[in-house]
Amino acid sequence: MNETAAASTSSVDGADGDPVLVGEDVRRSYGDVVALDGVDLRVEAGEVFGLIGPNGAGKTTLVRALTGTTDAEGDLRVFGAPPREVDPQRVGLLPQSFDPPERLTATELVAYYGGLYDEARGVDSVLRDVGMADDADAWYETLSGGQQRRTCVATAIVNDPDLLFLDEPTTGIDPAGRRSIHRLIERLADDGTTVFLTSHAMDEVERLADRVALLRDGAVVAVGPPDELIAEHGGAPRLDVTLDGPATDQITARVGDRLASDAAVESTRGGLRIRDVRPEAIGDAVDALDAAGVAFESLAWAEPSLEDVYLRLTGEEYSPREGEIAPASHGIDETDAASPDGGER
Amino acid sequence: MTRIGRIRTEATAAARSFLRRRTAVFFTFFFPVILVVIFGALVRTQPTGGGLFAEPAGYYIPGYLAVVVLFTPLSRVGSEIARHRDGGRFEKLATTPLSRAEWLLAHTLVNVAIIGAASLLIFGLVLAVTDAEPVVSPALAVLPVFVAVGVALFCGVGALLGALTDSQDGVIAASNTVALPLLFLSETFVSPDLLPAWFRPAVAASPLTYFARGTRAIVYEPGPWVGDLAVLSLLAVAFLALGAYAVPRTD
Repeated sequence: MNETAAASTSSVDGADGDPVLVGEDVRRSYGDVVALDGVDLRVEAGEVFGLIGPNGAGKTTLVRALTGTTDAEGDLRVFGAPPREVDPQRVGLLPQSFDPPERLTATELVAYYGGLYDEARGVDSVLRDVGMADDADAWYETLSGGQQRRTCVATAIVNDPDLLFLDEPTTGIDPAGRRSIHRLIERLADDGTTVFLTSHAMDEVERLADRVALLRDGAVVAVGPPDELIAEHGGAPRLDVTLDGPATDQITARVGDRLASDAAVESTRGGLRIRDVRPEAIGDAVDALDAAGVAFESLAWAEPSLEDVYLRLTGEEYSPREGEIAPASHGIDETDAASPDGGER
Repeated sequence: MTRIGRIRTEATAAARSFLRRRTAVFFTFFFPVILVVIFGALVRTQPTGGGLFAEPAGYYIPGYLAVVVLFTPLSRVGSEIARHRDGGRFEKLATTPLSRAEWLLAHTLVNVAIIGAASLLIFGLVLAVTDAEPVVSPALAVLPVFVAVGVALFCGVGALLGALTDSQDGVIAASNTVALPLLFLSETFVSPDLLPAWFRPAVAASPLTYFARGTRAIVYEPGPWVGDLAVLSLLAVAFLALGAYAVPRTD
């Protein structure tokens, strides 16, 4: 709880072009485990800043350091002040693991958290914003996981914060609920709220964030707008070919030999991946498969995405959590793919 | 929002949460009922004047009250802290204007109300099922103050236990470990002359002793109680301050 509800409306508050959040050489260890290892970051006013990284990379610790709920070394400034001296009216937080009192209704919960601030938004309007108006009178414990998370998001925005920390806000929320949270974040950003968003859903961060930082082993390994990160680290478009059998080295070589371009072919668990395939070259790739006598079940073409950046920079397999959606790809299955020569498939 | 407003908001949410947990409410009030029924009506004072319950029934009124004044806040506040910590609620509250002292004060007020009601129930039951005859005097009006101050004191201790232990199971075990010796070694059910002479000075170290002495001086054996209330109040302030400091604000 806040011990220094300081009237620290500093002149350095992000309103005059100064950054809202600054962290320099931020470090935090738990015993021998290093959670943050010299993090540097800077978030500008009105920005949606995404933080991604593998489990255990230090994302939640960084959020805690920035909200003053854990002790960290280094220089941390929020609206120009140390995190614990920031006017709490200006900050909203949705912790990653958060279970509010379960036998309060959604209305009561939002009113409860709103009641702790000097000024708070109307409960009904907040619940409408998160799509909970119809279930406002249900006890929290009777709500679905997605409704619970949306109610928790409501408690984070009830004070109309200038800076909003959302630590995995859409975990466990169904696609419709996710969309409503995405729209809410976009609206808040349009209204000038600075949003610090951590998520495991790469499509979410790619869609919402103005800039993204990738945290690995407690350090920021890349930061920038999603487009720039993808251009720099995402690699080339790819065509994933699902086979009805294992992709042997022989098949891989045969397809590679028949490709007109310099596209690289590699085997994957489910078949083949042909890299650097531009949309106009998909037909050539299909021709090469046919010419090599390779029967396939489906094709999926995908542009590089933040997921590819994540995979490349973390060296880990990306696996969305339940309820999260992997980045979209454009696929066709065997029945849709016309065989140019009626050959074996 | 003023300090009072924040405390009222927190207390309202805490009270609603508690009152909607029916089993918690039931056992909070059933516990003192079975206590009075067993010890006040079934075991009773030995007719020969011997045994554990050798004093007249009225002597044990402070003991019955002490049970709820001691046990309930210890376990409730301790568990509430464990629940808050496990659910990330302190992390959330740390970014609101609510201070740790305000949080503890709000939960103390809720406990005072709950335990005040339970104490009233005990008092009525003792009169109904035992032959206790409390002294009726203007000082009887101070009895609720003793209960409230005692509850506040043990809310502070409960906050310390909740902060020091790392789970709800740990809180229950710790609160039982603290409460049981205090209950029987604080001039509540066991009179000092039943204890070894060398141990008697230690009785004065128990905060509950001052609750028992003061309330006994009001309802059973008229005598001075202001000193006991003063000591109890000082200890309550001290433990509330320590408890508020111990309430977690970080991970």
